[in-house]
Amino acid sequence: MTSQTSPTITRRATRSGLPVLADYFQETWRFRTFAWHWSLADVKAKNFETFLGRLWHIINPLLFGLIYFIFVGIVSGRGLDSISLLAAIVGNLYAWLYFSSIVTSSIAAVQSGAGGVSGQSGIPKIVAPIASLFTATNLFLRSLIAYVIMHLIAQRGVHIEMLLAPVVMILIGMLGFGCALILATLNVYLRDVSRLIPHILRLVMYLSPVIWEYTRVLGDGSLNFLARLNPVFSGITAWTIALGGTLDPDGPKIFEQIGVFSIWAVVIFCAGILIFISKEDEFAIRN
Amino acid sequence: MLSETKAIDVSNLSVNYMVVADSPQRENQRFWKKTTQKTEIKALDDVSFSIPSGEIVGLIGGNGAGKSTLLKTMIGVLKPSKGKIDLWGRPHLLIPGMGFNRLLSGRENVILGGLAAGMSLEEVREKQDTIIEFADIGGFVDLPMTTYSSGMFGRLSFAVATHIHPEILLIDEALSAGDAAFKERAIHRLQELCSTAISIVVVSHSSTLVSEMATEALWLHQGRIRKQGEVGSVTEEYLKFQSETKETAQRDRR
Repeated sequence: MTSQTSPTITRRATRSGLPVLADYFQETWRFRTFAWHWSLADVKAKNFETFLGRLWHIINPLLFGLIYFIFVGIVSGRGLDSISLLAAIVGNLYAWLYFSSIVTSSIAAVQSGAGGVSGQSGIPKIVAPIASLFTATNLFLRSLIAYVIMHLIAQRGVHIEMLLAPVVMILIGMLGFGCALILATLNVYLRDVSRLIPHILRLVMYLSPVIWEYTRVLGDGSLNFLARLNPVFSGITAWTIALGGTLDPDGPKIFEQIGVFSIWAVVIFCAGILIFISKEDEFAIRN
Repeated sequence: MLSETKAIDVSNLSVNYMVVADSPQRENQRFWKKTTQKTEIKALDDVSFSIPSGEIVGLIGGNGAGKSTLLKTMIGVLKPSKGKIDLWGRPHLLIPGMGFNRLLSGRENVILGGLAAGMSLEEVREKQDTIIEFADIGGFVDLPMTTYSSGMFGRLSFAVATHIHPEILLIDEALSAGDAAFKERAIHRLQELCSTAISIVVVSHSSTLVSEMATEALWLHQGRIRKQGEVGSVTEEYLKFQSETKETAQRDRR
């Protein structure tokens, strides 16, 4: 008779609904290559690997930037002769689109069942939004090439704060991922959440200094209050300073903004992961 | 000779879940009133059994017996409400077509499907040619899968799903893929696969399929174990029960 060893895997009822986290993360790590290849397949399937696809991905935020530049120029009465402002808007829009595409594509991947991965298989469901995060990061990094060209044309200079741009980018990715997991979980219970998401994203964008300078809210009590409640505000402020240097020597400092943004990003990232995995068996029943 | 070690041990397992269904009085309700109600489904109720290492077990039962729920709980899709499952090996549920992106070519999907099935990149690259050869879909392998017939899709997805080395293999219902000639190869491939796994659980409505593949059987009825034992005696009793239920239903209709 062979002596029985301890089981490799145990599935048990837990009060919190959370699985054994070490096992869960180990299993997620096992599917990292799948998430990466799935993301590459997604990029290819969306024609982003063709010449026109790559071009469109760069042109799209440029066109957006141009539209907002004209809009802001007219509304603020500042005119349309500041190439530096255009470059700042385009740079911020790339960062904003990075955040919003993580949110929308992750929710869509979870909602659609992600090629059978979400509903039926033992692959951790978080792999689907991880693949969406890979895709969004891949496309964001490509789009930065276009920004570098604009930055040089607009003569925005080289600043020491630029060294912190990768940190801000990682934090934007974490915040987007956390928000996506919370909203994807909510969407399983309340289907109408997906209808609200475009409106929520648009509102958050207008409340963030994407198409206007962060210095504008400093003197305004109610706007300042709303900005402080908006997790993205400090991130976009830090991103703007990282790309173009500080707009106001007496205004917000990059380290201060990164500090605030780190708290938002880490808290929402961790909360998103815990909420998502504690409810992920509901996806198989409700999706 | 079978070893006496366990591969799967299920103890006092219950799986309940809530579903949201339309309220029966929906048409009479006004728009501000709730149109849905929550219903608790008791899919598995205090189920306990063990499967020794090296065993092929058939899981039989009618619709709603809890067969698929049991497999989903084993692979981790559903969580137990009570009790636990111990597994001595990683379970793998055979799902043809999992992870496929139909906009990509068959060749690219072999990589994606293989990774989704839990293979490493090296392993799936090593097996790519064998999988494509087994699927036997000719030049279509380099075309997008949107151009495939359902038979071709079935062949390729089956080929990918069955070129793995699972420790505990779970098969849910008979796998249909392609024409008669391919079906014969598919059954042969499944038998080969069974010889490499530590333990296998085959789930089916069909007692014939279970009799062909399994040595032991477990009959689930309305979330509880009705009978467990040697495959012949369990399937015989299951068939007898089915025919009695059918006769009763016919009598009631008259």
